[in-house]
Amino acid sequence: MSLLFKGGKIAAEEGPLVPGDVLVVDGVITAVGKKLEAPKGVRVVDVTGRIVAPAMFDSHVHFREPGQEHKEDLAHGSEAAINGGVTGVVMMPNTSPAIDSAGVVRTLLDKAAEVSRIPVYTSGCITKGRAGTELAGIDGMRKLGVTMLTDDGDPVVDPALLKNAMEYATPFGMFFASHCEVPELAGPRALNEGKVSYELGIKGSPACSEEICMDRDIRLAHAAGAHVHIQHVSSALGMETIRWWKERGVRVTAEVSPHHLIFNEDDIGDYDTHYKMNPPLRTEEDNAALLAGLKEGVFDLIATDHAPHSEFEKSQDFVTAPNGITGLESALVSLFDRFVVPGEFGWDLLVKRYSAEPRRMMGLPAVPIEEGKPAELIVFDPAGETTFTREFMKSKSANTPFLDQTLKGSVDLVLLGNEILLERD
Amino acid sequence: MARKDFLDIASLTREEVDHLLDQATPFKELFTRSVKKVPALKGKSVLTLFYEPSTRTHSSFEVAAKRLSADVIDLDVPHSSAVKGETVKDTVDTLQAMRADYIVVRHKMSGLPQAIARQTKASVINAGDGAHAHPTQALLDAFTLKEVFPSPAGKKVLIVGDILHSRVARSTSNLFLKLGVEVGFLGPGSLVPKLGPAGITRFTDFEEALKWGPDVVYLLRVQMERQDVPSFPGLQEYHRVYGVTQERFKQIQGEGTYIMHPGPVNRGVELCHEVMDYEHSLINQQVENGIAARMAVLYWLKPGTSEGEPQHETD
Amino acid sequence: MNAAAIGEAVATLVEKICATARRERVAIVGIRSRGDEVAERVCAALSKEGIEHDYGMIDISLYRDDLSHLAENPKLQSSEITFQMDGAHIILIDDVLFTGRTIRAALDALTDYGRPARIQLAILIDRGHREIPIQPDYVGATLETARMDHVLVRLKNTDGEDAVELVTNS
Repeated sequence: MSLLFKGGKIAAEEGPLVPGDVLVVDGVITAVGKKLEAPKGVRVVDVTGRIVAPAMFDSHVHFREPGQEHKEDLAHGSEAAINGGVTGVVMMPNTSPAIDSAGVVRTLLDKAAEVSRIPVYTSGCITKGRAGTELAGIDGMRKLGVTMLTDDGDPVVDPALLKNAMEYATPFGMFFASHCEVPELAGPRALNEGKVSYELGIKGSPACSEEICMDRDIRLAHAAGAHVHIQHVSSALGMETIRWWKERGVRVTAEVSPHHLIFNEDDIGDYDTHYKMNPPLRTEEDNAALLAGLKEGVFDLIATDHAPHSEFEKSQDFVTAPNGITGLESALVSLFDRFVVPGEFGWDLLVKRYSAEPRRMMGLPAVPIEEGKPAELIVFDPAGETTFTREFMKSKSANTPFLDQTLKGSVDLVLLGNEILLERD
Repeated sequence: MARKDFLDIASLTREEVDHLLDQATPFKELFTRSVKKVPALKGKSVLTLFYEPSTRTHSSFEVAAKRLSADVIDLDVPHSSAVKGETVKDTVDTLQAMRADYIVVRHKMSGLPQAIARQTKASVINAGDGAHAHPTQALLDAFTLKEVFPSPAGKKVLIVGDILHSRVARSTSNLFLKLGVEVGFLGPGSLVPKLGPAGITRFTDFEEALKWGPDVVYLLRVQMERQDVPSFPGLQEYHRVYGVTQERFKQIQGEGTYIMHPGPVNRGVELCHEVMDYEHSLINQQVENGIAARMAVLYWLKPGTSEGEPQHETD
Repeated sequence: MNAAAIGEAVATLVEKICATARRERVAIVGIRSRGDEVAERVCAALSKEGIEHDYGMIDISLYRDDLSHLAENPKLQSSEITFQMDGAHIILIDDVLFTGRTIRAALDALTDYGRPARIQLAILIDRGHREIPIQPDYVGATLETARMDHVLVRLKNTDGEDAVELVTNS
């Protein structure tokens, strides 16, 4: 199959959008340039006014398989990714049973090969069953390609155990991803401690709970010579903590989620569980600080923490309802709508932080729109709109604050190698 | 405009607050008649769901509903174990099947009445949810305050105790602020929110707070069971630092300051026993007014209505 | 009806009530709203005549039989019954008598204060179309109306002027 994308603008991780045509032959980009002629038999896709960008990659998703398939599964989760312009994901291991052994990893990867149209990677647990007491089957998982170890959903409470795990797994070329909180400070983990937690009468989780653990994990990694990746940083001081350590040359990377950039505790209103996640939404000041951190490069990457829950589960009272919202389908469009449109940042940042860097962290090559590279790209219409209806979304769950909202921008086409995964009129 | 639910004070407009306070008076007048019952809610059913034990609020609602001629059904729910979130919807379905018109719910989980209200046509009345809200308590407090100060704007009310875990403090202070009352918080540093609502003066010292010149000292019940981590060393020390001791009572008596308390009182903790016979103690009045305030709320709400429903022609 | 016509109707009512009130002590009870204002005028006339009597007013909102059909319950006003209801001779007063349902409610409300010896009904304007068997003992004026017509009564203290307007609904 050969395709010529004609009349668009090309996004890259450095520099502004550049007008240019893109020729793809049998899954490989064979030419990029102005006014390319279509060889015989090539399908010409008119992308005038639209953007051709490297496809996105999400290094933090919950696909709930095995064990909680009523929320999400590999088939629906991977289709949700495609729907949002994402062609690669890393699953978190807080499934049931947890992804803590070669057996579970193999089963999942086999299943993914069968049902998913995009590559699906998985992280593995640090501790068996994420229970925080015994180390998981690290070597077995490594042999199946697992590089990221995390107990995401929870921290490893015992610092000695985490340090040992780091010292043990680092020589295998593995790295650690940390969900940061101090359980004793965190309360029922429902929302930020502050004005809104007082008003709603729920014990909040103070930002210091997250920041203390973050600082601890970076120090432990530093002592152990490990690479630690800090997940979903939610507070200004958390962002500054990472900056402080990076300035000292410590091997730490960090991610920020679209929801922590866009929403804050005031959005919870009257116990709206679509704004309940862990770490919680904090304040407007934190939104601003996180955005600054993203623009200044404190955050290496954007990841959604796509966390599907059924409508029934989210319809419970605020304290009981589970933490988390979906993100794969809305991430790119919402970031475009909220930040690219008003000029906060450009496509270069989106490509660098949501496509190139997460792939590099996972040891994968980036997928720039360049001659000779494999085709893994999206066509995005900046003049289009997306309405996040239940019907639009491919995920099994619709627990997103964007439900039934219309945002600017539309992922019109997703190409992976020789296959068009998505094409909207 | 009538509402379906009565869940908190924060969402009430000043107009609605004034209306409800105004309506409590004619209901209280009924109590002097030989027949204290009126037929306004004849044929309606009021379901009470108390997942937390409560004698006062529970019986106050029951009396209020019965005086309006409603049928009162007390659903016997376990007090100790909270309803698991999984079963909230099932509970609501059960209530729906019972065709209750009004559901009075108390639960230790903040936000649970909201979750129920969203899923039922019945009017839901929050009789206290976690540390969030206790709106009928606030209403009876404001009604009581207005009985001694018909124009309460500019009066000063000092709320003393565990502000952080108290739904009474939240709702009552919120309503008082809506009425233009100046509110002060006094309590242990670990139990007074640092980022609370605006417009409240914070005190850490009782003597300083009394110098502020409160017209009412509102004492909150100390609830050790609400504290998962110790917030103060003990009850004796609490009484010494944040209680109305005999010495402070003399000063309060000298000023003629009113005393309020949502009950039940822990004598020797929040206050010394002399306070109970104090002529300016409004504690018993609060109980009586609770019934009138709750009748006003029941009469005000309209189950299963939505805006734009046709209004029937009347005589 | 203009102010003069209303004055005449009140005078008719007063005349008839005076005859009773001279014979025995009565308690005049007005139904809120507007029935209370008619009652006040009757009381003023009785006082002028030197006839001693009791006075009260009641709000019957809580006794209405149509509350569950209303989108919003009527605002409750204070009732003032300070005399002893047991054994009293009550003359209940309202501005307009229509279906009779308001009077039914008022009778229930009154008897919740005690057991009066007798209750009579005085009406400023009888517009007909009863739905329950209630008839007035004293009538100021009668007005021919159709069932769906609206009779709008305005009284000075309540509404700023004395007037009765018939709005036909055809």
